[in-house]
Amino acid sequence: MEDVLTENPPPSRFFQEDLNNFVPPPESIPSPFILFSNPKPELPLRPSLLIIAISSPSLYVSHNLPSKTLLGSLIMPEVPFSGNTIEPSLEDKSCNIYSLSSTDDKNSILLVSVQLPVSPERSNLVSRLLIGQDIIPERVIILDSIQSRNFRGRLSPDETLAAKLETSAEKKATSHLVNLDYFPSGSVIDGLSASLLSRCQLKNIRGTLVISWPEFGPSVIKFIGALLKKIVPSLDVASVNKDLEKNSSRTGLKKDTWLDSDLYT
Amino acid sequence: MEFVVEEGKLVNEDCSTLVLPALSIGNVGQLAVDLLVSSTGAERVGYLDDPNLLPCVGNDAYGPLPCGDIALPLEVYESSSIATTLAQQRSPVAKGLMIKFAENIADFAASSGKKHVIVLSSLDFQRLHNLDLSRGPQVYYLSNAESDGRDDHCERLGFGRLREYDSEGRCWKYLSSVFEKNSEEELTFPSEDELEDIDYYPSLPFAALFSAFKARGLKVTCLLCYCSEGDNIPEAFLLAEAASKLTGLTPDKFHGEEGGKWRIPYSWKSMYGAPPDMSMF
Repeated sequence: MEDVLTENPPPSRFFQEDLNNFVPPPESIPSPFILFSNPKPELPLRPSLLIIAISSPSLYVSHNLPSKTLLGSLIMPEVPFSGNTIEPSLEDKSCNIYSLSSTDDKNSILLVSVQLPVSPERSNLVSRLLIGQDIIPERVIILDSIQSRNFRGRLSPDETLAAKLETSAEKKATSHLVNLDYFPSGSVIDGLSASLLSRCQLKNIRGTLVISWPEFGPSVIKFIGALLKKIVPSLDVASVNKDLEKNSSRTGLKKDTWLDSDLYT
Repeated sequence: MEFVVEEGKLVNEDCSTLVLPALSIGNVGQLAVDLLVSSTGAERVGYLDDPNLLPCVGNDAYGPLPCGDIALPLEVYESSSIATTLAQQRSPVAKGLMIKFAENIADFAASSGKKHVIVLSSLDFQRLHNLDLSRGPQVYYLSNAESDGRDDHCERLGFGRLREYDSEGRCWKYLSSVFEKNSEEELTFPSEDELEDIDYYPSLPFAALFSAFKARGLKVTCLLCYCSEGDNIPEAFLLAEAASKLTGLTPDKFHGEEGGKWRIPYSWKSMYGAPPDMSMF
């Protein structure tokens, strides 16, 4: 073991292997894919709005929305199904695709609930599947949490915050889906939500990433519910807010990946 | 790697020089490119979409006030007044994929008609063996103008040749063989256990970029400086000034503020996080 007093410290902004050309490339893993329910819908799907829920509060809201139809699931071969239930559950490691539309306007609004961990290295593949291949949306809303490790300001656990980033196409539109301040310059968002918004920008799709804080709790869940109701007035969010205060402050908390263990299912 | 032109923008065919950062200690190359983009008023003309790059997004980094223009991981800026293309990389390359990334970006540079590529990078100060403080902070260089890395123009500008470069060294030869498609030598991938101190330089991202651009027949110059991790703004200025000298940029082509020639990017205001909470005192 290295002596922490006399040995040189490692760099803090990079891992050593990030700066090493001779680290072996990763082992190849089979690509993710989307499995659609029977009967298979006509592809590509062309929703007028694609909502992608990634943060714990948004997943809680999505799960409690009534009247949604399961269209399919995005499968990541490296994520085991063990512990998943037959009926969709908030505890599942899954990425389900739902239709929120009425029967008149089938598949016009799609909702994706990303309940499985997507590593940054796999984010590009997942975002290509969700946007631009079998699903070609007109507009996209991505819901994620502010990542405290990448945020250059102060985050109070008592204060609900939200900000947005949007693509150029959304920015220059005459009406905006979301009316929030922009995420401050100097801070970044990484991971799947960043990959999804980048994909929208590259494909010239109207996309908005809403990042909220804190990562869980009734206040931010109410905020997300109200936001979605404003964007889709026909959405029934009444059941989302039911019994919210009775639940613990960690309502809908997505388990940290490093806490998960396949030993316990 | 796909180059996506930003809507409404045109690529300037006369920009034959490309300046880009290599990931390195203290993010010095990236900070230097930030300074160059901000100070020259270069406009973003497009994005490079590479599957080997980790994703990130943010608000406009340059200002004068962030207006909500989205920033992506790898962006291309141009300024016709300086006939130079600047590429800014904001996120790391996925582990183990640096060589693929270097190959892709070299393909982009060659296919878009670039003639000279300038790579900005820092080196770990702990690796510096001959410390000479008499000349002040020193910029080093590595060029493919001559086989030993030497370049007359860089010498005249007072840059120090990177003496640790050895084109016949095992790792440098491996990098050359990987990027030169018609190489007859089949060299094995050096394992981490086999690497020695001398292999530090070719193990760095700037070396992969250097070898990749060299293999595509482009003139490539790496500008380097030693530093430790910390407040690396001074090193960013050092490399940015070196790059501007090398490309023949003159101060009148910069937007200045407060009498200086450099414009500090807006995103640097929060580079080291929020100020301390004074209520605790």
